[in-house]
Amino acid sequence: MADILQAKPAPPAATLDYHRLVDVENGWIDRRIFWDEGIYQLELERIFARCWVFVGHESQFAAPGDFVTTYIGQDAVIAAKDRQGAINVFLNSCSHRGNRVCFAEAGNTRRFTCNFHGWAFGLDGGLLGVHEEEQYSACATFDKSKLGLHRARVGIYKGLVFATFDAEAPSLDEYLGDYRYYLDVLLDNDASGTEFIEGNVKSRLGCNWKFAAENFVGDAYHAGWTHASAAAAIFKKDVKVNIERSYQANVNGHGTEFGLDLIGNAMGLAEPEVVEYLKENEARFAERLGKLRSRMVGAMSSSNVFPNLAYLTGFNTWRTWTPKGPHEIELHTWVLVNKDMPERLKEAYRRGVSRTFSPTGMFESDDGENWEHCTRSNAGVVTRRQKLHYGLGMDSRMEHEEFPGAVHRVQLNDANQRAFYRRWADLMSAASWADVSDRSGATR
Amino acid sequence: MSVNAVEQAVAAPRRASLQLVHDVQQLLYREARLLDEQRYDDWFELMEDDFRLWIPVPQSRYRRDGQGIYEPRRMAHFDDSLSELKLRASRWKETTAWSEDPPTRHVHYVTNIEVEPAEAAAEWLVHSVVISLRNRNEDEENWLGGRREDVIRETAAGLKLAGRKVFVTQSVLMAKNFNTFL
Ligand code: FES
Ligand SMILES: [Fe+2]
Repeated sequence: MADILQAKPAPPAATLDYHRLVDVENGWIDRRIFWDEGIYQLELERIFARCWVFVGHESQFAAPGDFVTTYIGQDAVIAAKDRQGAINVFLNSCSHRGNRVCFAEAGNTRRFTCNFHGWAFGLDGGLLGVHEEEQYSACATFDKSKLGLHRARVGIYKGLVFATFDAEAPSLDEYLGDYRYYLDVLLDNDASGTEFIEGNVKSRLGCNWKFAAENFVGDAYHAGWTHASAAAAIFKKDVKVNIERSYQANVNGHGTEFGLDLIGNAMGLAEPEVVEYLKENEARFAERLGKLRSRMVGAMSSSNVFPNLAYLTGFNTWRTWTPKGPHEIELHTWVLVNKDMPERLKEAYRRGVSRTFSPTGMFESDDGENWEHCTRSNAGVVTRRQKLHYGLGMDSRMEHEEFPGAVHRVQLNDANQRAFYRRWADLMSAASWADVSDRSGATR
Repeated sequence: MSVNAVEQAVAAPRRASLQLVHDVQQLLYREARLLDEQRYDDWFELMEDDFRLWIPVPQSRYRRDGQGIYEPRRMAHFDDSLSELKLRASRWKETTAWSEDPPTRHVHYVTNIEVEPAEAAAEWLVHSVVISLRNRNEDEENWLGGRREDVIRETAAGLKLAGRKVFVTQSVLMAKNFNTFL
């Protein structure tokens, strides 16, 4: 009896062999990684508190005092622009008793004042003052310079603002590495730069965050089947992937699957002006990006920046999969446009994304259903023992004269998903950044 | 200004008759049933050609903030013309709309109906509250409530919907999708 009560706890998640749970050499994945609470807690430590995580777009911080609240993993953070013009990211939890400091999702302010006892923090997270401060005059441990909100490192790449809580993390440029070549397809096809359309759409899905991320990093395969009804309604025909001229590419877990069809995704918006814009500007894109990349600007494609920032060329939606537990995410959806696009075109993107890739959207409503049930089925203990197959396109690796990273033939491929999970396993196994392998162009 | 006010009714001397209030009520109830029964083509018959549906995504902002909870420039759940709504609904008719088969079970509950004069002579500004209950598969359940502002027009063919705004209260939609109209 006593034995039963003192049954040995499961081994701590840190001692699991993640390169066995995720067997990328043979293309099998253990379902526990989508279900287990211990593994999830370690993800918060070793993925989200360690990687560069997307927190916003520079256009959301036009004036000093502009702020947004968001999450890095499950850590609530504030991102705010100070009077010097720097964007700061710090914990949204008071250093006094831990109360949430800011409850608005966006706005403009001079300071963040805690509701509980009135401690006030500046736009850089520093403690400015406290209520009845004279009472603290004899308090030896009360040092305002040490009681600010814990800050993250901030990095910006062509408008995208990222933050990390890991002092040892490589620089953002190094973290993105050669993947910047692919990011530039949307971030740098126009001299005016980019901006987010105001606001976003927020929704909750009962799925593990990795099912969403792997879907965007490389699951072109699902599109023709899952989204058959949307394709039939919008295109009046099936969508076929070009086998000759389509690819997957990945760099350190970031990945994109893409064709070179210029307008394949954009057609899905059902906004003819967007397609016209892409066709008319192809030569202009080519001046900045070169001929090949200019063909990607609105092409059939999906992408995910490790760990949880995804986007679609053509639709121009950017989104984050923020974990809310092992079996839940919050999805935030934005629309990115070039600053100098005519207003009418920005409107077309804004309304087109709502109609396609938002919770009301014709494409997205089918995705959520799949991801939720891929997750929920793992409640079954026997179910959880059955490994999942990720073996498509094992021998598809190729060298390409222009495309950087690990490049694979044909969009219909599990290569990017395997690369995503290998990066995940590398990070889950590593005690620090120094132990994380370089996967910037590794085979398979 | 009250926190949720988006548009104040224009005070005009007209008053809705009991008969009109009754007819408006019946229109909204019939409409709710058509949505429950997923009879979208019949639902679209209740709209004027210039009908627009706007369902903004609310933002949680401080009262002192210059911007409101609902703003037209922002991303919206719906900001569609009638033909765009028809395009959305056309997907549900495809046999390949997997996430609609087996179908979602819907209840649209409409209440708090008020009929006020609108600016145009043949139009009425109708306030109501709508609550959508959806159940699907074994145990999935989603509630979504919103305050509606409709423009209802008197036409030769009877009362028609000429425009609708729905101010939902969830800023984070607590569901994987929003596969109905409100
Ligand atoms: S918890 Fe913030 S002031 Fe006390
Ligand atoms: Fe999808």
